[in-house]
Amino acid sequence: MKIKKALLKDTFKEIKKSYKRFISILLMALLGVGFFAGLRATSPDMVDSIDIYYKNHNVYDIEVMSTLGVTDSDIEALSNIENVENVYGTYSRDGVIKTNDKEIVSKILCVDDVNIPVLVEGSMPENIDECVVEESFLVGTDKKIGDSIEIEPEKIDGEESEYLKNKTLKIVGVVESPLYISRERGSTKLGTGVINYYIYVNKENINSEVYTEAYITLENRDKYQTGSSKYEDYVEETKDKIEEIKEERENARYQELIDEANAEIAKAEEEFNTEKQNGETQLQDAENEINEGKAQIEAGEAEINSKERTANQQFENAEAQIESAKLEVAQNALRLNNEKIEAEKGFEQAESQKAGLQSTLENINNAIKITDNSIAEKQAKLETAETEEEIAAINQEIAELQAKRQVYETNKQSIEAGITQIDNEIANGRQELQNAEAQIDSARNQIQSQESTLKQTKNRTYSQIASARQELEASKQEIENAETELETARAEFNSKIEEAEGKLIDAREKVSEIEKAKWYILDRQQNAGYSSYIQDTQSIENLSVVFPIVFFAIAALVSLTSMTRMVEEERQEIGTLKALGYNKFHIMLKYLIYSSLACIIGGIIGMNIGFQLLPRIIWDMYSMMYTLPEFIISFNHKYSSIGLGLIYVCIVGATLYTILKEVKETPATLLRPKAPKYGKRVLLERVGFIWKRLKFSHKVTVRNIFRYKKRFLMTIIGIMGCTSLILAGFGLKDSISSILPNQYEDICHYDMLVSLKTALTQEQRNTYIENLKQKENIQEVVETYMESGTAGKGDNSETVQIVVPNDNQEIDKAIKIRDVKTKEPFTLAEEGIIITDKLAELIDAKVGDTITVTTADDIEKEIKVAGIAENYISHYVYMSKELYQQVFGESYSTNVLLVQDNNLNEEQEKTIMQEMVAQNEVLTVTLTTTTMKSLDDAMSSLNYVVIVLIVSAGLLAFVVLYNLSNINIGERIRELATIKVLGFYDREVYDYVTRETIILTIIGILLGLVVGYFLNFYILGTCEINILRFEKVIHPISYLYATAITLIFSIIVNIVTYFALKKIDMIGSLKSVE
Amino acid sequence: MAYIEFKNVCKEYKMGEIIIKALDNTNFSIEKGELVVVVGPSGAGKTTALNILGGMDTVTSGDVIVDGKNVAKLKNKQLIKYRREDIGFVFQFYNLVQNLTAIENVELATQICKDSLSPDEVMEKVGLADRKKNFPSQLSGGEQQRVAIARAIAKNPKLLLCDEPTGALDYKTGKQILKLLQDTARKENMTVIIITHNAAIAPMADKIIRFKNGTAESIESNQNPIPVENIEW
Repeated sequence: MKIKKALLKDTFKEIKKSYKRFISILLMALLGVGFFAGLRATSPDMVDSIDIYYKNHNVYDIEVMSTLGVTDSDIEALSNIENVENVYGTYSRDGVIKTNDKEIVSKILCVDDVNIPVLVEGSMPENIDECVVEESFLVGTDKKIGDSIEIEPEKIDGEESEYLKNKTLKIVGVVESPLYISRERGSTKLGTGVINYYIYVNKENINSEVYTEAYITLENRDKYQTGSSKYEDYVEETKDKIEEIKEERENARYQELIDEANAEIAKAEEEFNTEKQNGETQLQDAENEINEGKAQIEAGEAEINSKERTANQQFENAEAQIESAKLEVAQNALRLNNEKIEAEKGFEQAESQKAGLQSTLENINNAIKITDNSIAEKQAKLETAETEEEIAAINQEIAELQAKRQVYETNKQSIEAGITQIDNEIANGRQELQNAEAQIDSARNQIQSQESTLKQTKNRTYSQIASARQELEASKQEIENAETELETARAEFNSKIEEAEGKLIDAREKVSEIEKAKWYILDRQQNAGYSSYIQDTQSIENLSVVFPIVFFAIAALVSLTSMTRMVEEERQEIGTLKALGYNKFHIMLKYLIYSSLACIIGGIIGMNIGFQLLPRIIWDMYSMMYTLPEFIISFNHKYSSIGLGLIYVCIVGATLYTILKEVKETPATLLRPKAPKYGKRVLLERVGFIWKRLKFSHKVTVRNIFRYKKRFLMTIIGIMGCTSLILAGFGLKDSISSILPNQYEDICHYDMLVSLKTALTQEQRNTYIENLKQKENIQEVVETYMESGTAGKGDNSETVQIVVPNDNQEIDKAIKIRDVKTKEPFTLAEEGIIITDKLAELIDAKVGDTITVTTADDIEKEIKVAGIAENYISHYVYMSKELYQQVFGESYSTNVLLVQDNNLNEEQEKTIMQEMVAQNEVLTVTLTTTTMKSLDDAMSSLNYVVIVLIVSAGLLAFVVLYNLSNINIGERIRELATIKVLGFYDREVYDYVTRETIILTIIGILLGLVVGYFLNFYILGTCEINILRFEKVIHPISYLYATAITLIFSIIVNIVTYFALKKIDMIGSLKSVE
Repeated sequence: MAYIEFKNVCKEYKMGEIIIKALDNTNFSIEKGELVVVVGPSGAGKTTALNILGGMDTVTSGDVIVDGKNVAKLKNKQLIKYRREDIGFVFQFYNLVQNLTAIENVELATQICKDSLSPDEVMEKVGLADRKKNFPSQLSGGEQQRVAIARAIAKNPKLLLCDEPTGALDYKTGKQILKLLQDTARKENMTVIIITHNAAIAPMADKIIRFKNGTAESIESNQNPIPVENIEW
């Protein structure tokens, strides 16, 4: 115990004394373990992250898709399979969203209890008029939460109802889907064939009888990690079981559809028949009505005619009557005139009688007057007579006279009565005439009034007849119209019947055409994002194997030399201990503790830094390509212990190796100074003409280089490692940064890709193209047909873009199709297709091989490969128009225009793009600059790799060089002290030592450049993503950078060395026994 | 004034908290061309004095005059220059560069001096003309020490300082080396200082300086130095 204590004390003192050595070993352990553990842990951390993500969001293990949809009974059947925990029937469909300036294609998913999306912002769609989108959707369409979008789901053949109940959707949130962790969204038959985004809607909004797919989660899946072989076996096992029920379910679904369709046809037929009956009856009714109307019109016409006739008769009669009345009146008037004339004659007689009477009367009157006068004279004499006789005489006379007068009066009266009688007679005659005349007049009047009445009646009657006739005419017209209507209706009815009959026939045909249901049983590996993610974790794993090897190798070398040096320095102490009776184990213990401590402390610090730093940095790079909610960093016990174990073996093993060699010696040998390394002539000395020309100091250097072989190797390997890592870093950057220019400036050198709408006619298309060609600033317009599809050979297949140019020569103006090796341009011909280089590699196709090309419409054809073309991004299959038509039997029609403009700047291009998009013929316009920009962002993340490489390389170089310099000085301290005593200036001493370091550094750099060249290729090979081809190129400047950076590191170390040399204690160093 | 003068030289070393006086007010002088033997027990300060004289160590106080130059006052770079041009050193353990042949070890010294001697001639002088292409490991101890001496004198120094040059050699070889040193002093008229703990060889010197307790206890001039071959011990 006590012995141990003393040894331990000695060990700690040793550490304190030689802390530089201790730290350098510790640093090596730190770097080695840090890098190993950190890099190795990255891949498991990434797998962990996706595993936890998938578990938390209940992501499916198996997906069953059916060409005819998945029914509830399918779900039922799947649920009964062993190991199946849950089966979720769910829906997805592609759809087109129209925004202000473009049409985008989106996957419409529905929120369900499986593959639960991560809510990033806002809320989930609670109502059927709501949806959630992915972040890039908002960026790409310039929408925000609260805005509405209009979506038109893809119509499936024979589908009657709308897929979505509500097609105007309000964006209520932003989500991340576990199904789409990469940028890949898959392909579609819509638009340009590429799905741009996904959106989630409420499940209630889906209007579909069958599910589009069933997602299955497995029991006890929490026990397995996704991507692990156990998990995959478990999934595979279950898939096999599903495979067993597959056929039965396929047939059931097929039968169900057939039955359904037949029932529907029967129903339709019945409906058709009744409809036909109804139609025919209706037509008949209409015809009958028309005929009836016609008869009525005829009757009406007859009636009117007879009426007219009667009226005519009546009027004639009336007129005749009037005429006869007129005649009578005229005769009467004539008779009256005659009577008048006679009466006048009577009157004249009466007048003359009267005139006689009147003259008699006048005579009487005169006689009366004379008598009156004589009476008056006698009366007057009476008054004068005085005697009575006289008075009586006179009175007698008067009485006589009055009697006379009386007689006169009586005469007069009879005459007067005669006159009056005549007058009366005349008056009566006249009255009678007058009456007769009046009678005639009234008769005349009567006739006249009768005549006018007749006239009126006649007019009225005739107008009545005329209007009746008119009415009749109108009715006739109506009937005629009705007749033509009936004709059209009949024609319509017939064509409809024909159509309906045709439809029935079609429907029947379709029933016979219903294809058998086909089930696709998929797992996570078929998910593009997931599989490329897992693939990337594998390439990181590959990378993580190579890098740490460099570090371990150097760690082993450094500790070997360090420990060797240490053991040699303490040779005497070992000898003393041995002489004192310590056994081997106790002696070794000190060195083992020393190196173990350095190793374990360094290793633990290293793994802690490594586990945090490296996965984080690498994840930062990958997070540009993958959307995962959280990156989980865990302390990986496996790799920490492996890392520590390996470094322990390297460092402590190296210590053990050295110390074992020493403790084997006898104490006496150990106590004697170790024989110095003998000087030796080097090979170069035998080449006299060179050796003689070398300066003395150079000869020394040359000899020294070969003297210390371990150091020689270590320096070279260390520097080589450093330079090669840096070069690989820069090379990686060169390769990556050359992708974009190569692809978009060299190969695809068009500026815009214009997709035309598919519904255009040939003429519309041609006019549009002609107009576009005439447009200012447009230089070239190349017509092509593009569609996405897959190309495969054997089990491998990749998504490709099929490009069929309209003109096999013209395409050169937009895309350079040239041989990947010779760069000779290809001409498309009928012999075969040209495929791009990376595709050829992935599916293992060579010129002359036959590969399977599948179009977006699932048409599969075998085509021969005629050439392999240079390409950097995505995969393309180039095919001549003739070959395309011949193979696929479809007529060619341009759908994509590749446009080259007159070197416009981005602003100008955008203006043109907006103009184009506004046009009816254009579906979308993609600017090459925009594509480049977005890819550039993604790729710039790889700059981190370069930084990681340079920093690690720098650390490596520094540790190695610093260590070497320490060892170098330590080992050669006596020699250095000697030359210092000889009077070498500091600078000369420095040169004396570092000249070899510099030469070794230069050799190391040169070797490093070579190794780096290959290392770069190796890294490129492991990092390369399926759709990318890295050009294996390293720019000359990168060699320069790698060299310069390594030199800078070695200069820093040399400066440190310079001061260390200056401090060498000559006396102390020379005093000791050699 | 003497060629070399040590005036009141003190040298203190600090070992943790203890101050050790390696030289305590040491005074001596040496004339040009003298062969001086410095004797004394271990730790008496003779090596310290030699180191100071050789420009490998500095003084704490006092002056060290060599050929009119105060070495004690020289700065680092001047010290190196002084070592380079004026001093030749011979150590107990030869300190040859193992990776260089005998002649190359000599060349290592001559190539940095202005008026150096021809390495070949020097090699002849030390009697190793036929072994000059051998590496140190191929030479015996005596031969190695001869190379070391050749390397020291090839620089044509003002002073040849030898610290126990025979310490690691057997009697016979040691004698040969001392003879070589004595001859060199005589023939080249070089000032040679030899440190030894073997007082028996003192009679070969022109001057004997005895060190004790960090100071030159006695300085004794020997009017009749005896050739080494005649000294027995």
